Amino acid sequence: MSDQGRVRIGRLATGVPGLDTVLGGGLPEFSFNILAGAPGTGKTTLAHQIMFANASQEQTALYFTVLGEPALKMLRYQQQFQFFDAAKLSRSIRFINLSQVVLENDLNAVLEEITREVEEFNPGMVMVDSFRTVVRRMQSGPPDEMELQAFVQRLALQLTSWQATTFLLGEYVEGEMRDNPVFTVADGLFWLSQNVERNSVVRKMQIMKLRGQASVPGLHTFRITDAGLQVFPRTFGLIGKEAKMPPPRRLSTGILALDAMLGGGIPAGDSVLVAGPSGTGKSVLATQFIAEGVRQGEPGIIAVFEERPQEYTARATGLGMDLDTPQQTGRLEILYLRPLDLSVDEMLNEVLEAVEKIGAKRVVIDSLAGFEMALAPAFRQDFRESLYRMIAALTGIGVTILSTVELPEAFTSLLFSPHAISFLTDDIIRLRYVEIEGQLRKILVVVKMRGGNHSKDICEYEITSEGMEIGQRLKDYRGLITGVPEYSAP
Amino acid sequence: MKQTTPAARDLARQLLAQEAEGSAPSETEAHATLRTFEKIRRHMVKLVGVAGFQALLARALALAKAEVSWLAAVKVRADGFLEGWSEAAQPLDADTESKGSETLLAQLLGLLIAFIGEYLTLRLVRDVWPDASLNDISTSGEERPE
Repeated sequence: MSDQGRVRIGRLATGVPGLDTVLGGGLPEFSFNILAGAPGTGKTTLAHQIMFANASQEQTALYFTVLGEPALKMLRYQQQFQFFDAAKLSRSIRFINLSQVVLENDLNAVLEEITREVEEFNPGMVMVDSFRTVVRRMQSGPPDEMELQAFVQRLALQLTSWQATTFLLGEYVEGEMRDNPVFTVADGLFWLSQNVERNSVVRKMQIMKLRGQASVPGLHTFRITDAGLQVFPRTFGLIGKEAKMPPPRRLSTGILALDAMLGGGIPAGDSVLVAGPSGTGKSVLATQFIAEGVRQGEPGIIAVFEERPQEYTARATGLGMDLDTPQQTGRLEILYLRPLDLSVDEMLNEVLEAVEKIGAKRVVIDSLAGFEMALAPAFRQDFRESLYRMIAALTGIGVTILSTVELPEAFTSLLFSPHAISFLTDDIIRLRYVEIEGQLRKILVVVKMRGGNHSKDICEYEITSEGMEIGQRLKDYRGLITGVPEYSAP
Repeated sequence: MKQTTPAARDLARQLLAQEAEGSAPSETEAHATLRTFEKIRRHMVKLVGVAGFQALLARALALAKAEVSWLAAVKVRADGFLEGWSEAAQPLDADTESKGSETLLAQLLGLLIAFIGEYLTLRLVRDVWPDASLNDISTSGEERPE
């Protein structure tokens, strides 16, 4: 069949940030959908948000309430959300209470009542909240699956024929999906859940079924704020976007001697890991990397977890680097990502938005340990997978990413990272303490560079008021990487 | 017991006057009052259901009784209709009857304002009386979108 003769399914913008991406471009027009989940998962809020985003005097919406949350309370609470536009009520959005019909009559009467209202108001969108109570009420006698199936099918037929996009809201659990006629008839199945782990709650959404278009599979985290729901797609909205490969060149770290050790700088588009114990200057190196980028006209993002942006900026000032001016001129953003129970997707969403906003070429994550702590416990278990997705997403849009990671100092071995994440990075710079002549001194070594040759030297360095200053190779010592070297000069 | 607010009372007075204006000369004030509540009932039942409206009006009546003693003889039926109004109002002078009507309606409007806010309450009232010329009940002077 040629494309010309094929029907094009219209897609409605849901008004929920991130959800259109998850749905594969928006809500299929005239679809008949189930919005399911346990109480408190955000079904009603999501339905309202979609309805308020779409309702107008030309495309009206009907919201049927049934034996669930009373309409008055619903209006009381939902008007607290920013998307609630009271001016749309009655002319564009109508609330109809079906409780009496459900209590006093059979399924046919319910269908007749819905049909009557739909024919009168001619809505483009219909919500039934909660549909589960309709079914439960009708099944209070001996269950008649055929009758229920016939009812759902006629309802879907009726609403679709009237060109309404429909949502039936219900408190379902996953086990109920099997053999349930409601789910069979539905074009779309939106599943909301909230998982409690230790003291944290993580909300997730899954599009279990969506006829006519490819939604993004998997569980997507979402958050409910005053603005309503925001969904964080697992793919970070990057599906279908071509990976940006920066032109092959080297980026200066702002430390000439280190650039030389790296074979000319960090290859553009790489992911670099700077690992070392507390106080070795990981953040200093990261700041110099960003400041040098800004100096060369490459905007940067610093995501901080342990320090506040003001403290970070003040410390840079002490090292002779001005981070204030580029922040004011839109060439630098310092993101302070410290909310509890963060998901990787939320964090990345913030970073990606900032990258897009200022056209960033360099990103610093300072530090991975702080990032891990900010995550909800459920995500900490998958930290490596999370990092993999994060690094792939950031390098996929062409930015060069430098992450710091704190390591416990071991005096018999040289660890690269506490999570065996070194394979995820292209380049590794290891900082560590060594004991020499009764002093605790610092050494630096480039451990790995995927993009080519690098110096094998182990060099001493100092953190001065000018930043990181790299000294000579410590060639007169043996066992430097153990931290307790021996003097070996003749 | 909560007293009616001046804003709610003012709106109630306007609505009752609006309804009385369209009355036939032979009609009593009780007729106009009952018609007013019936119009609200019919509209609100769609939104909150019969039981929801009955509960609201019963609460409003309980609050109004504390202000107007003769309302003790009035009841709210399960279907949301006022029962015993005409009988209780018959021996009263016009002012006393008006005060009862105003107080009950003001209490009902006050409850709606408490639950869904002034703006939505006024929208609801305007849906019932689309042609009424009503003064804004908002005391805050805050502009709301149309």
